[in-house]
Amino acid sequence: MEYTREIYWNVGHGATTLVPMYLLTILAVALLGYQARRLIADYRQGKSLDRTDNLLGRIVFMLKSMVLQSKVLKVRGPGVAHALFFWGFLLLFIGTGLIVLQADFTDLLFGIKFLKGTFYLLFSVVLDIAGVVAIAMLFGLLIRRYIVRPEGLESTRDDAIMHGLLFAILISGFVIEGARMAVTELGTPLALWSPVGLLFANGLAGLGEESLRSVHLLTWWFHLLLVMAFIGLIPFTKFRHIFTTSANYLFADRGPKGKLVGLDLEDEEADSFGAAKIQDLTWKDIFDGDACTQCKRCQDRCPAYNTEKPLSPMKLVQQIVQVAHNDPQADLIAACDKDAIWSCTTCRACQEICPAAVEHVGKIIDMRRNLVLMEGEFPGEEVMAAMENTEVNGNPLGIGYASRGEWAASLGIKTLAEDPEVDILYFVGCYASFDARNIKIAKAFIRLCQAAGVKVGILGKEEKCCGEPMRKMGNEYLYQTLAGENIELIKAYGVKKVVTSCPHCFNTLQKDYRDFDFDVEVESYTSFLEQLVRSGRISLKSDSFDCTYHDSCYLGRHNDIYEAPRNLIRAAGGKITEMDKNRSEAFCCSAGGGRILAEEKLGSRINIKRVNMAAETDSPTLVSNCPFCLTMFEDGIKGAELEEQIVSRDIAEILAEHLKETV
Amino acid sequence: MKTLLVAEYRDGKLLASTYELVAFAQKIGADSAMFLVGSDSALPQYDGTIYLADSGKYNEFNPAVHKQLLLDVIAQEQPDLVVFSHSSYGWDLAPRIALGLKAAQISEVVDIVDGVLVTPLCNAKLRREVKAKTSQTVVTLQVGAFGLDSDPVGIPTVEQIDTDALAQVEFGGYEESEGGGVDLSKADVIVSAGRGIGKPENLEIIQRLAKALKGEYGASRPVVDAEWADHNRQVGTTGQTVSPKLYVACGISGAIQHLAGMKKSEFVVAINTDKDAPIGEVADVLIVADLKQFVPALIERLHK
Amino acid sequence: MKILVCIKQVPDMESKFKVNAAGTWYDDADLAWRMNEYDEYAVEQAIRLKEQVGDSDLTVLSIGSKRVQETMKKALAMGCDRGVHVNDDIVQHKSPFEIASIIAEFAGNKDFDMIFTGMQSQDRGSGQVGVLVAELLSLPCISTIVEFAYADGKVSAKRELEGGTRALVSCGLPALVTCQLGLNSPRYPTLPNIMKAKKKELLSFDVTELLKVEARQETVKTYFPDKKAGGLVLEGDVNDLADQLVKILKDQTAVLA
Repeated sequence: MEYTREIYWNVGHGATTLVPMYLLTILAVALLGYQARRLIADYRQGKSLDRTDNLLGRIVFMLKSMVLQSKVLKVRGPGVAHALFFWGFLLLFIGTGLIVLQADFTDLLFGIKFLKGTFYLLFSVVLDIAGVVAIAMLFGLLIRRYIVRPEGLESTRDDAIMHGLLFAILISGFVIEGARMAVTELGTPLALWSPVGLLFANGLAGLGEESLRSVHLLTWWFHLLLVMAFIGLIPFTKFRHIFTTSANYLFADRGPKGKLVGLDLEDEEADSFGAAKIQDLTWKDIFDGDACTQCKRCQDRCPAYNTEKPLSPMKLVQQIVQVAHNDPQADLIAACDKDAIWSCTTCRACQEICPAAVEHVGKIIDMRRNLVLMEGEFPGEEVMAAMENTEVNGNPLGIGYASRGEWAASLGIKTLAEDPEVDILYFVGCYASFDARNIKIAKAFIRLCQAAGVKVGILGKEEKCCGEPMRKMGNEYLYQTLAGENIELIKAYGVKKVVTSCPHCFNTLQKDYRDFDFDVEVESYTSFLEQLVRSGRISLKSDSFDCTYHDSCYLGRHNDIYEAPRNLIRAAGGKITEMDKNRSEAFCCSAGGGRILAEEKLGSRINIKRVNMAAETDSPTLVSNCPFCLTMFEDGIKGAELEEQIVSRDIAEILAEHLKETV
Repeated sequence: MKTLLVAEYRDGKLLASTYELVAFAQKIGADSAMFLVGSDSALPQYDGTIYLADSGKYNEFNPAVHKQLLLDVIAQEQPDLVVFSHSSYGWDLAPRIALGLKAAQISEVVDIVDGVLVTPLCNAKLRREVKAKTSQTVVTLQVGAFGLDSDPVGIPTVEQIDTDALAQVEFGGYEESEGGGVDLSKADVIVSAGRGIGKPENLEIIQRLAKALKGEYGASRPVVDAEWADHNRQVGTTGQTVSPKLYVACGISGAIQHLAGMKKSEFVVAINTDKDAPIGEVADVLIVADLKQFVPALIERLHK
Repeated sequence: MKILVCIKQVPDMESKFKVNAAGTWYDDADLAWRMNEYDEYAVEQAIRLKEQVGDSDLTVLSIGSKRVQETMKKALAMGCDRGVHVNDDIVQHKSPFEIASIIAEFAGNKDFDMIFTGMQSQDRGSGQVGVLVAELLSLPCISTIVEFAYADGKVSAKRELEGGTRALVSCGLPALVTCQLGLNSPRYPTLPNIMKAKKKELLSFDVTELLKVEARQETVKTYFPDKKAGGLVLEGDVNDLADQLVKILKDQTAVLA
């Protein structure tokens, strides 16, 4: 027998089918287009932003992310279900497309049929499997949403419509197939190549041919109407993510990761800075809300959300797009809630995991910029005081700037003012300069450099805060002032390379400072030390010790530095018992986003939550790589009453202790 | 050397700072007379003349009138030094008198060495010796800098004084402070609890010491984090910044955020089992001991 | 309404002080400069009064070298309309009386309705200037205020007394008040205001134009007090330690009278 089937069997291939079918299609697409235009008009209320650079690269990224579902698959359970459902639906879509192509074009106009023979067999079985997999996955997702009810997953009428419509489409598709097969294929070898259809056919076989044909015809038109409804409803429901999420891959932020958008503060035309209204954000900021599918992966990982603060990255993004669609003149900041806005630690857990490439952090910073620059408002008096301290003494701690280099007094290193001929400038940062606990890390780093024969210089009292916490709090003006002063100084000394032991300084000098004509090489101390160990310039004695390791947000997610520090710990003999949340899933210590300057007044303490995670590994030592983390953990260990159980240490001090002193 | 001591009266009571003025006069071996806008129901124990104006008539706070009353007495007494307490009353009235006399005013005197007056500079980090170039001098004395060695004795000879000078401001009475929010920034003595107190129950020892020293109790961040003390007791960059005359840090290691909040303290005592605790860098005295044993011993002595 | 606020630029108190070569004051080197904290409250209150009354002009005045203009810019950025800089490179050698006289000489013919000053400076802390200016200009003066209200030509203020008690005092305009810490919450300058401040009028006078009096006192010497018990570490029996501490507190602080 010929392996093929009559397309439009029983339905009719004439005008009575085609005309209404195409009219409905045109109607559905018109509805889609109409609503899409309205949505786009809403996005365009935002400022312009060019995301079309490197178009080829963007397209490749989009296709890869879409087709391979790479971002979706980062979370196994629902990720696999969605991916399989997507591939199933994609195959069915392609399959239907091929049918239309043959039936209404190649066959109709040129008499060419390709849905036959072996190809048709494969076509049949692939689509049947695709369909049943899609139904199974949809069913699994339905159970998850409505029976398991994961915390934080909200379901609306939209979700119900989507589940219902998709089930109806998929099942009606099999009913159509089953009815057709019951009449035309039962008992033929062809039937085995549509196993699911065969099941349906056997189930319907009891009906006589006339009934079967009626069932088939009705279901066919029903299925068509459902599909048309589906198409038309796309922009009205979360189905829009088929386009919006895909587009978001195309328009994604291509990095560098964690670099904030600059502000031209000299702009005489600008009558406002930061975002107070929807029109102050970019179109992309608004569009993100419609690319978001409310999967809550960001919320699940947000340290603020998980300690009862009012911030949910998902809700914030939704609030923004809702303002754009429903009430564009609204007070954006009130809509998002100030407490939520101030609670963010810029840890990037949201953006790292988001399968829709939504950019949460920038919007928050934009609103903070408005609050600080236009209203002079901060989350607390203590933050304003820190800003003023920085203006007066170049550090948020308010300590006299003249003593900034004193920690290095007897270490045999000089300031650049005394001797600018150095291998590296060690940019110390405020905490390692002034805080007794963190001074130990600076001293350890110097010891390691000296052991490796690296000539280190510091800026001493000329060094100012890199400006990062101020920038993250929204005080772009103070940040730019500090950056300008540091950059001018570093360039004037002809520095070739800067190394810093603070991930916040590192991220800022390495990325943010590039906006200001700053080309000097910047390296993080972990990468720098790893190189020294590898090349043998530093020898470590490997005394075995147990520990767990905390990936700081700014070395980890912001800069993807996960392995170098671990290599260093192992080189010193450390045996790392990883916390559940490690590497890109690490849980923030709470001090990022400028929050090192602020009191944590809402909810429970993030740092205590994290040290408890560390304690759960039964490790006696919690190793970290950031002065903020170290400070938060010292406090947190005391607060959680775990002093007898665990101590917090920095990598540098552990390495310094394991130095094999060569004669 | 003749001094005129300007005593203070508030809310129907003679203030104890009055005797600090007497002690100062004694220290420099000067004769003295006293001036007071007050009441004969609360006279100081003082062997000398006291020029008394009735506070019932002239009000306890009435700078222009007090100024005239005082200038009249000065015209009569012709003192070399007019001595005030550096108090909210003294620093308000003294400049008016100094100007009226075309005299130099030297504020917040902490000591007098070989006839030269010593005042603090820059939050008491430095000292400054000052000399008047005028024949008469007005001085205000730092509260607590001078004190009698023994209890005051004497019965003053009262001379009633009056004036028809007019008031420039209206005094509407006093308002007591509310108990509620603790403003540690205004405290003269603060005893702070750090993690070294061990358990929340031990905060009580700290509070008792604060009370014995007539001060307030504070806490470092970990203690507030652990909810052993209320947030309004927190001393540090994200709590309150304080500058008391005495700061006692109990079981506080001295993390930078805490130090930054209390560095302005004039005298710092730290009690810690760790000899190398960073708090030692700002402490005038570091007592290496377990606070749970030391503090009760200290309280015992203070109560004697 | 015409308002004047007088501010002083002082070194940040966290600085490491050194005595100058002549031994007469602290050395200028390695110091971070800022607005006298008390004056911040004065500036904030002056601006609030200006905002309340509308149709007001607020002048900020400061005496010192060119460096003080940085601090004046902050006052302008907070909201003052114009600045008057009295240029004096050796202002630290002037006594409170001379400072007050300079200010009074400037303000005397300007008919200010309200003058605000801080109640004292963080470095010298004599607490005299504000009251002296008022006396020189024959203005009623309320010092050490922690609350300020203006209505119908009358100022109602609360003075802060020892122990937290407050005294309610009021007077008519024109008047002068000296401000205590906690009077209000000084605002953080917004960016548009920082930008505007760069263009506001900042007149500079030489101090010789305004100084018509002679000093009535002089600084003999400035020095560091003997390191009291700097870093004294005591160990031993708790009872002995307690005795030792009580003696130290009696000798070195005024706390145990």
